[in-house]
Amino acid sequence: MRLIKYSNRSALPATHFGGRLGGLDIDSELDWLFGNIPNGFAGSVLGGQFPVDLYEDKDNTYVRAELPGVNRDAISVEMIEGSLSIQASRKDKAGDSESTASFNRLVAIPDEVESEKVTAVYENGILTVTLPRKEASKPKKINVLVN
Amino acid sequence: MSFFNSLIPTIARAESSAETNPVRRPAYEVTESENAYGLTVSLPGVAKEGLEITAENGELRITGKRAAKLPEGAVVLHRESSDAVFELVLEHDTTVDPSKIEAELKDGLLHVKLAKAESAKPRKIAVG
Repeated sequence: MRLIKYSNRSALPATHFGGRLGGLDIDSELDWLFGNIPNGFAGSVLGGQFPVDLYEDKDNTYVRAELPGVNRDAISVEMIEGSLSIQASRKDKAGDSESTASFNRLVAIPDEVESEKVTAVYENGILTVTLPRKEASKPKKINVLVN
Repeated sequence: MSFFNSLIPTIARAESSAETNPVRRPAYEVTESENAYGLTVSLPGVAKEGLEITAENGELRITGKRAAKLPEGAVVLHRESSDAVFELVLEHDTTVDPSKIEAELKDGLLHVKLAKAESAKPRKIAVG
């Protein structure tokens, strides 16, 4: 007997099959409903996606991603034309079977950043990327003379 | 079989505390081997200091507080995660030996090993 994961889908209309695009593939819909998605634990929980927060202060932009249990050397962070690409993978060993789940997300960065000075820290399952803002995009005081 | 039936978390309790103290149930997965149950709980942002595990009265309770780590004066542009405390309560009746529970927290993922009580292990019955 398998544990069926309870997920709150009541907010979606009945015909919405959990956001899957097109097609009426009954087998895979039933698989999804009964939690049998091939990505294992990570996949059924996060669906290959993970929550991301975006913060900024006057010197840096920060991107924070929730990625519990991923392999440190499998984390790849890249700046691609003003967007930050985060990729990670995780190996799950359950008894004899082993499954790999992979995560992938592109985050648009609002300001100009110094690409060479971007740093990242992975702690307690949270990846925090610090992107120093370029001088030109930092807030600057403009003195206005009023006559 | 009965262990899995009783693993349904106590939803009523979570709802009553949700008004005063935002609490959310973390994602988790249970596996079973011959001698023990394995529990994996996803607790991103929780360090050992913020983690509390108690086992009493046939109830395994896991509470995790996130260690907030944002620089002073940072402004939120976009928020998808939540700072709510994680809480997971699982009932296990008598199939688990509470003195032999081992837990390891690594990179925001908690692995718990719950050794089965002697009476719950599969027993071979000799046929005379």
